[in-house]
Amino acid sequence: MTASHQMKLGAFLWATGHHIAAWRHPQAHVTAGIDIDHYIQLARTAEAAKFDMIFCEDAAGLREANINIASQTSRSIGFEPISLLSALAVQTSRIGLVSTASTSYNEPYGLARTFLSLDHLSGGRAGWNLVTSASPIEAANFGATGLKPHADRYERAREFAEVVTGLWHGGPSGHDGQSFSVRDPLDLPRSPQGAPVMVQAGASDVGRDLAARTADLVFTAAQTFEEAKAFYDDLKGRMAAYGREPDDIKIMPGVAPVVAETEAEARAKFEELQELIPDDVGVALLSSYLSIADLWRYPIDGPLPELPESEGMQSRQALVVEQSRRDGLSIRQLARHFAGARGHWRIVGTAAQVADALQERFEGGAADGFNVMPSYFPGELDAFCTLVVPELQRRGLFRKDYEGRTLREHLGLKRPAWLPAQA
Amino acid sequence: MGRKMHLAVSLDIASAAGEAGPTFGEIAASVRNAERAGINMVIICDTLPGGKRSTSLFEATTLVAALATVTERIGLLASASTVAHQPYNLARRFASLDIISHGRAGWNATMTQAPGEAGNFSRPQGFSDDDFRRRTAEYIGIVQGLWNGWDADALVFDKRGGRFHEPEKMRLLDHKGEFFSVRGPLNVARSPQDTPVLALSGLSEPDFDIAARTADVILLDDEPFEAAKTRHDELKRRAATSGRDPDAVKVLMNVSFSADDKPATVAGRMADRFQSKACDGFNIQLPARSSALDGFVDGVLPELRRGGLFREGYSGTILRSHLGLAVAGDQ
Repeated sequence: MTASHQMKLGAFLWATGHHIAAWRHPQAHVTAGIDIDHYIQLARTAEAAKFDMIFCEDAAGLREANINIASQTSRSIGFEPISLLSALAVQTSRIGLVSTASTSYNEPYGLARTFLSLDHLSGGRAGWNLVTSASPIEAANFGATGLKPHADRYERAREFAEVVTGLWHGGPSGHDGQSFSVRDPLDLPRSPQGAPVMVQAGASDVGRDLAARTADLVFTAAQTFEEAKAFYDDLKGRMAAYGREPDDIKIMPGVAPVVAETEAEARAKFEELQELIPDDVGVALLSSYLSIADLWRYPIDGPLPELPESEGMQSRQALVVEQSRRDGLSIRQLARHFAGARGHWRIVGTAAQVADALQERFEGGAADGFNVMPSYFPGELDAFCTLVVPELQRRGLFRKDYEGRTLREHLGLKRPAWLPAQA
Repeated sequence: MGRKMHLAVSLDIASAAGEAGPTFGEIAASVRNAERAGINMVIICDTLPGGKRSTSLFEATTLVAALATVTERIGLLASASTVAHQPYNLARRFASLDIISHGRAGWNATMTQAPGEAGNFSRPQGFSDDDFRRRTAEYIGIVQGLWNGWDADALVFDKRGGRFHEPEKMRLLDHKGEFFSVRGPLNVARSPQDTPVLALSGLSEPDFDIAARTADVILLDDEPFEAAKTRHDELKRRAATSGRDPDAVKVLMNVSFSADDKPATVAGRMADRFQSKACDGFNIQLPARSSALDGFVDGVLPELRRGGLFREGYSGTILRSHLGLAVAGDQ
């Protein structure tokens, strides 16, 4: 079986774990956000398991406006991801290093230069996950009086991506656009992998178009096979309009597995985490993703209220609402359900059950790989690496060793020959 | 024990056009060499003066993050421009570097606009000198304010009680100024050395108040003795006027020397300046990939140590301790 028939895997590192109550778990490393050695160990674990990449989320601000709620989670503090990945770059040798950075609160010249430097430090293993930032908490740290409308953020992002890719390819001289002007080419040498890998996560209509045009890798959230398949087909279908082949983008939905030797153990492990979620924290997390501040006003055992159109994360909001209606969930149930995986796909079971589920989506044409979101660190990353990865390798679904040295090589991407489309 | 000088080494990682810049391995070897010699800190700058194009492989803050993982004691400063970064982002980057390095990081901010830089950051007109000065002063206030947003004992990690941090030990900045408005707080924990070290360079006389009020370290160009002494005394006086201990600001003088200079001559010149209190120490400017550092470490340093002017090794683990700057709870 050739590399192109094997799935790609990302290790999505986030604070003490992806489960909102992860930090309270007895085996979670609670000081993760101030312990660089912990992250070096996680990176080496993922590299030993031959993961394509480490993936870091980011927000330039607190995650939660209510300080009482924020203080019951571990997400108010952590490493800034570009410095974190720069440190990891020289403590690893093969694994890709992808960080999120916002097009709303950076300038393209500085961002292009910083990621290119990470690319040089790592010998061609860097990637940039483009986000437009939907949070008003972040906006308040950058002099903004309010969140910019969704369409404006994406127009700025489109120009930003165009300038960054242009700079990575040696140009442009004299960009003078709607949002940005750049006079010089970059003063760093060209990337060891052609250009850092471009990653995107927005799933709205304009987000998909931007991805179809510029992304090498797309991170997405999909609960069911049908949702994943519909997104996959839609995005790959948009690429021809930009002169690109479907295989030029790898689509990697997030997956939040809870795995153990037996199904009963996995369920017990998951229940143990769910029990640690305080109601007010679960509801706050849900309301932040739905961009409605007053969800706590509604009866917690009642259904989700009708929601107004929001300037926040439109596609993810739709996903959450649809799930709640489909399953007839109360706010409490949805909050708990959502808190565990933040709207991503959760699988609880044995290695064989997790591998079955991943295989179905991979072979069914709904995913090129998966961004793995362990519930808590380091235990659940270790469990995935020791239980699930060998099972995937046994089935020929995942590599036993790296084929190349750069992130582009791991992902089976062409060295970029394309140039950014002109506005 | 007599007064000891503070020594920084500025490593120039930028090469002239056409030459390949030094690799990470080469830079790391130089930094470890400086660490073995007990140098207080290295300062990494990734651009050439005067806005000339360079071929450095690395941007300074990312390089410092990597260097932090291959060194243990030496301080690591990165130059970063107030034009290239938003203050919130810059404050986060350096706060994070400080945790990665276990309290050895610092920011070298310049009071001088790099020619043409603003043209790459959607500001083709740049800033007038007055605007740039007021903007930089406001910027530094924001960054230092954000660094102080979390109390040292804010994180409690109480798994059983469900409290990760004490809500009242985190403060909003709520800054609204002429150039920026920043709510805060920072989403990075407090520095292991209280706050990252702030070094200011590129000063002219109108910047002295800002520097005396905010800087931990001031880097000044070499000047004839009388002028250097006057400048040093003036900065210390202004530090006292703004309510600080004059010794909380370390004035370092930039020096470079050539292979032709005799070590004893260099050491003698440094000793004169230091002993007559024209500075608290020196910032030795060297290329990252050359034997010049060896020349300094093997030739000049032993002379200084023989004269009792430079300490033998590190006494603490954080940069503030190397610099003799007070930190609550350390020392």
